[in-house]
Amino acid sequence: MSDLKNHIKQDTKIDRKPLIEVKNVRKVYRMGDEKVIALDNVSLTIYKGEIVCFLGTSGSGKSTFLNMVAGLEKPTRGEIFIGGIPIHKLNEAKITLFRQKNIGFIFQAYHLMTMLTAMENISLPLIFGGIEKKKRNKMAKDMLKAVGLKGYENRKPSQMSGGQQQRVGIARALVGKPKIIFADEPTGNLDTNTTKEVMKLIVNMVMDNNQTLIIVTHDRSIADYADKVVTIQDGNILNVKEQNKKDMCKEEC
Amino acid sequence: MNNRDLFGLGIRNLLRRKTRTFLAVIGVVVGTCAIVVMLSIGFGLSANFQEQIESYGNLHLIDIYSNGGMMMGGMNNGKPAVLDDKAIAAIEKIEGVDAASPKESIYLTFAIGKYICNNEVIGLRPEVMQKFNYELQDGRLLRTGDKYTMVMGNQIPLMFFNPKKSQGNEWSDEPKVDVITNKMIITADEYYGQKRPKDEEKITYKEYKTKCVGVLANPNDDSAYSAFMPLDIVKAIEQDTARAEKEPKKSKSTGYENAMVYVGNINDVEDVSNAIRDMGFQTSSLNDWLKSMQETANMIQGILGGIGGISLFVAALGITNTMIMSIYERTKEIGVMKVIGANLTDIRKMFLLEAGMIGFIGGLIGLIISFTLSLLMNTVLSEVMGQALGEIAGGYGSTVSIIPWWVALGALGFSTIIGLLAGYYPAKRAMRLSALESLRNE
Repeated sequence: MSDLKNHIKQDTKIDRKPLIEVKNVRKVYRMGDEKVIALDNVSLTIYKGEIVCFLGTSGSGKSTFLNMVAGLEKPTRGEIFIGGIPIHKLNEAKITLFRQKNIGFIFQAYHLMTMLTAMENISLPLIFGGIEKKKRNKMAKDMLKAVGLKGYENRKPSQMSGGQQQRVGIARALVGKPKIIFADEPTGNLDTNTTKEVMKLIVNMVMDNNQTLIIVTHDRSIADYADKVVTIQDGNILNVKEQNKKDMCKEEC
Repeated sequence: MNNRDLFGLGIRNLLRRKTRTFLAVIGVVVGTCAIVVMLSIGFGLSANFQEQIESYGNLHLIDIYSNGGMMMGGMNNGKPAVLDDKAIAAIEKIEGVDAASPKESIYLTFAIGKYICNNEVIGLRPEVMQKFNYELQDGRLLRTGDKYTMVMGNQIPLMFFNPKKSQGNEWSDEPKVDVITNKMIITADEYYGQKRPKDEEKITYKEYKTKCVGVLANPNDDSAYSAFMPLDIVKAIEQDTARAEKEPKKSKSTGYENAMVYVGNINDVEDVSNAIRDMGFQTSSLNDWLKSMQETANMIQGILGGIGGISLFVAALGITNTMIMSIYERTKEIGVMKVIGANLTDIRKMFLLEAGMIGFIGGLIGLIISFTLSLLMNTVLSEVMGQALGEIAGGYGSTVSIIPWWVALGALGFSTIIGLLAGYYPAKRAMRLSALESLRNE
């Protein structure tokens, strides 16, 4: 466990390289004749290896923020850089490629392909990346083991519980070793116990690989797992709180 | 995303909605069948026409007639065109012409023992007869150096009769003579071996010992009723006969009356005919007929193919509909794929591939069924179909339906392309789908 503590220290003190820079981002939706301001004027820097939690009620703009950083939406105004690359300027084809290489996604509703097995679902990002079958099968198998679903290789999503499906979702997001992982309400569909298990799994795996994790949630308990908690309200950042994240060891031991 | 994975995913997606895929495939099957079967009937018709006309004679041959020095039509530089050796040499040089020979004919009596037969003898240059591509049933064709040598059509041996026992030619199933081994003489004497009418009693016709060296194979065309000898010999017999009958000597020859031309490639026959007509001669060939019949066949084929085409068009609409439905169903899935890293082109390829596969599989099954139907039409249904088509097109032959290999391949390619085209719009739509919108769609 000393490894883990060292890791945290490293995270917060030494490795302060900005990875994501959001500058004066504004997003306005048009709903018929009415304008809806989803994000007013948001600026934020996220460092490599950080675990950041965005807290906010529904409609606060937290999901819009996530979508824009992931390149799924373009800001009305402002700039977003990831590792120096101007995400707001890339066209759809380029941003897709960028996502394929650098970003993993975990969804609230898991969004697994119903016709594919657990193994195949995990392999999907690798398939899109054009990785050959032998190699990707090994990677997917290792991942399946890491999320504790060894033996579930050939199960279809319909044959698994919500928690198990989300584990497959996590494995799928992490299998390509992306630099950044986005999780949009990852535990929204899970009960309290499963939530704890799944969160621990995500956080541990992300820390092991020194990846950056961005979680969007309305569940305050999730915030405990983060290095930085960003509260969003009505399209603006209300406050940013840096903290020592919950020591997972305490509960585990 | 590599092609194998693309293919695997495509198949799975198709299998996932079996009923709908099945129905879309059936649409293509029906369309392909309609086109292929309809076209095959057209090809069958066309082949039957050809078969029919070929039975009347050789499609490669063109007959040439000089205008006999008459002033009608045939003029060349102001002078009437003369079909002489020079003209024949010029005809031989026309592109597509394999061989040409002047043609003289004379009506002679053939005699073997007590059996005789009256028939026309055609004089040809012996050296070109082989190029005319006559098929032999027995023996050989005329060749250079032949003199009193004959090749005859296979109906002539059946025409020999004994004049003492019967009046005129009497058809028999079995030849009474063996033309190749028996000794034969020919003469211009029409009444050889019979009593002559009084006014011809004094004429003494020459008799020529002649060797028959070959019998032609085709029993249907006009060569079956012709005998062929070297041109010079026929001319010599003509002169002898004129002398014997004390006809006034003809003025210096103005050329031949007829000639024959052999064209190796059937498609050149028309051009060659036109070129010869431009020289001031008249031509006739069975190909002229064939052309007009073929035009009829093409028209019928066009109508039949068009009907088939409509069904394939409807099938294409079916594919498009299937694919659009599939996009609605898979909106969320497409969004997820985009978010987790599917390239835009991958998404498009996936949908195109699925649509293309529906087209290809439908086309393949359609072809198999088409071949089965074609086989049935040519065997079990041959009589019924033949009669029905005979009424439309006038005349039918042994085969009702023919599927050439290129039509089979073409139909398969066409159905696949139809599938791809039908899938193009849905694929584009899937590609353009906003990832975010799709994810919200729950």
